[in-house]
Amino acid sequence: MTSAENTELNALAQRSIDGATRHLISAAKTVYGTPETGFNEHKTSNYVLEQLRGIGLSVETGIARTGMKAVLHGSSPGPTVAVIAELDALRVPGHPGANAETGAAHACGHHAQIGSLLGVAMALNTPEIKKSLSGNVAFIITPAEEFIDIGERLTLKASGAIEFLSGKQEMIRLGTFDDVDMAMMVHTSATNGDSAFSIGGTSTAHVSHQVRYLGKSAHAGGAPDQGVNALQAAMIANLAINTQRETFREADVVRVHGIISSGGTSVNAIPSDVLYEGRVRARMVEAISTVAERVIRCYRAGALALGTAVEVQTIAGYHPLRQDPSMQEVFARNVERIIGPDSITIVPDDRTTGGSTDMGDLSMILPLIHPYVNSASGVGHGNDYLIEDYNRAVIAPAKVMATTIIELLGGGAGTAREALDKYKPTMTADQYVAAQREQFTIETYEPQQSH
Amino acid sequence: MSDRSDLKSSFNRAINGRVEELERIARDILDHPESGFREVRTAKLVADWFSENGLALQTGVAKTGVVGTYDTGRPGPHIAVMGELDSLIVPGHYHADPDSGAAHACGHHAQIGAMLTVATGLLDESVKKGLSGRVSFMATPAEEYIELEYRESLRENGELEFFGGKQEFIRLGHFDDVDIAMLTHTGSETVGTFGVGGSNNGMIGKTVQYIGKAAHAGGSPHLGVNALNAAQIGLAAIHAQRETFRDADTVRVHPIITRGGDAVNSVPADVRIETYVRASNVPAILGASEKIDRALRAGALATGATVRIQTAPGYLPARYDLRLVDLYRHNAASLIGDDNIIELHHGTGCTDVGDVSQIVSTIQPTANATSGNGHGVDYLVEDYELAVIKAGKAMGLTVIDLLVESGAKGAQIADSFNAPMTVTEYITRMRGFRSDTTFKD
Repeated sequence: MTSAENTELNALAQRSIDGATRHLISAAKTVYGTPETGFNEHKTSNYVLEQLRGIGLSVETGIARTGMKAVLHGSSPGPTVAVIAELDALRVPGHPGANAETGAAHACGHHAQIGSLLGVAMALNTPEIKKSLSGNVAFIITPAEEFIDIGERLTLKASGAIEFLSGKQEMIRLGTFDDVDMAMMVHTSATNGDSAFSIGGTSTAHVSHQVRYLGKSAHAGGAPDQGVNALQAAMIANLAINTQRETFREADVVRVHGIISSGGTSVNAIPSDVLYEGRVRARMVEAISTVAERVIRCYRAGALALGTAVEVQTIAGYHPLRQDPSMQEVFARNVERIIGPDSITIVPDDRTTGGSTDMGDLSMILPLIHPYVNSASGVGHGNDYLIEDYNRAVIAPAKVMATTIIELLGGGAGTAREALDKYKPTMTADQYVAAQREQFTIETYEPQQSH
Repeated sequence: MSDRSDLKSSFNRAINGRVEELERIARDILDHPESGFREVRTAKLVADWFSENGLALQTGVAKTGVVGTYDTGRPGPHIAVMGELDSLIVPGHYHADPDSGAAHACGHHAQIGAMLTVATGLLDESVKKGLSGRVSFMATPAEEYIELEYRESLRENGELEFFGGKQEFIRLGHFDDVDIAMLTHTGSETVGTFGVGGSNNGMIGKTVQYIGKAAHAGGSPHLGVNALNAAQIGLAAIHAQRETFRDADTVRVHPIITRGGDAVNSVPADVRIETYVRASNVPAILGASEKIDRALRAGALATGATVRIQTAPGYLPARYDLRLVDLYRHNAASLIGDDNIIELHHGTGCTDVGDVSQIVSTIQPTANATSGNGHGVDYLVEDYELAVIKAGKAMGLTVIDLLVESGAKGAQIADSFNAPMTVTEYITRMRGFRSDTTFKD
């Protein structure tokens, strides 16, 4: 492919997306108006299915409950590039877009990803562009990126509906990515920066704990001496965890945070069954195990202090994000080309956001990029996180991803092949699945009473 | 009966002639406070008075204790009239020793005055002639259960075994043949009254050491194990137990940190706590103690520190003999009128009079003659006549009732007293409270 052809195809892709601007933004807003939490995104999934079919793609549905995959084939064989979008909302009651019943709200901007993905699909499905591609483009709609509702997901796990607790983890396990060679997804951001896009850096890995304290109920007024207070045990544990913070090294970017997801049933009874949902994040998996050991010690201390039993269930979480430098370079070049000079900030590889994503898990087995588009206001996961500029959040990423793919797969997919040659996976999909499975453990601690 | 009232009149008259001397002694002790097992000057003052007044003298009992024996020469009951030698340590108290901080913020100085007042009256020849039996005037050390490390060092040296003066008196056999014991404590409930009856909590003492690992607090806190954090978790966990304490048990747990780290730029590796565990009855003390130990161990578990918990016997709950209370009430009323006698409630503080009360028929009335908060900087005896003279008279008149007519009343009370334990059982039980455990996960 000559650069003149490239320019022409890029212009065509942009025109296609520009022509669909109102539709794409409206699709994103429709998803925003139907917030659903992970593995429950039935309405959202159905809506996206209609849209993909409308574009003319054939869609595999019901992957990991609500996930989908649609593959667009180029004119000749070559690598498969996945464009990913996440279906799920967070749970942030009080967010302007929150569902009154469930509290689900798109406080992380996933709805914009859906709009962008549809834009890329429309543009690349243009016959002239499709013809130029050597390889395939897989549009993968993933459930449950937010690692929340642990109790609910453990129930799904127990019923066999899922094994891992996030969408991409499940999709890796189910082989959805087996025929995918590289992937990309653009996430919204509210970071105050001058440029429209940023790329690079990493995220934290994490592990979750479902901690259950079992005490003994008794009338809280009449016979508190007969009870064993499970809530006090959880609170002592939380206090103890806080005292560990001075031992966390900044370089490890440790984050430890928990919620009491069930803290007693009635105020006049001594709480006897209390659930604490804990999370340990760190830059590297190794630091997580050191910190998790300390945190688990604290859970047990709560039990020892009050004489409760405690069950600590460890739940495999996310891996740190590893972005592919070759793909990053192509993407950055396309941002400058399509949006304008100085439109992208390159973040150093070792810069870590405190957050975590299952794109990290995917990045262990294939090359990918996870750029951000600066288009929101408020605090991520806060009740004020809103997409301010839908043109930038939906349309700009669609254009840049489309032209990035044209560059990757055009001209016989030389650019994609070059990137793939340089990439060495951290592990295979099989190794990944085995490592995740190994992390699921349940430990019960019942302190011995001296009398 | 005219004999008895004559004796009582003579008793009161003998005291009335020496009021100034007796009150002066109390004030002298106030001005020279000494804490437990250090009451050298106070003991000498009492010993000198006993000698000068012709009582058979024993000194150095339980390190600083003094016993003066009054013997009528006739067989009869043996009564202990007690007074406590020791002060508290309350720096900032109006009469605190500027160097040691020792201060009589609990009114023990007045007890010594009251005890000597009893002796003054009974020593009157016409009184002595009418009585049978013996009275031991016991100036006992160390009623305040403080300075545990010092007392532990005395224990290690073999100078004592228990941390309370009366406990040591019991161990050393001074209560073996005592039938009845009494002591008047000052109180501030309703000034101008005597308080009678009541009861007191018992307790055990704990010294706790958290051992962590020192590290530079700025440079490498991840290499340390923070013993102060362990202690704080332990303390918070203690508080989380409180809802399980029953009202009737009047449990009190009130720790202090006696060592909280050595340098602010080093992760604390040696942190120490002292606490009491008090309750109205021994099972409640032991039940709470187990919960406290559990809570303290949790601090170690949470941080990876080691905790050593040493439990020492404290005081037993005090229960007073109501028959003796009635006798005392009658005599106290004869001095200040029925309206000025009040019934005491259960007190949640502790005293080694409690230990005595488990072995012999005992009363501990209060002379309510003070202002301020007990153990506070402002606790002062305001009415020395009540706290020293009338308190002594009320006890002495009761002693007369017990020892007249060949000591019939005293014998009756002593013989029918249902002692919770013997001296030997007491010592066994107290030793059983002691433990020393180390916990590391």
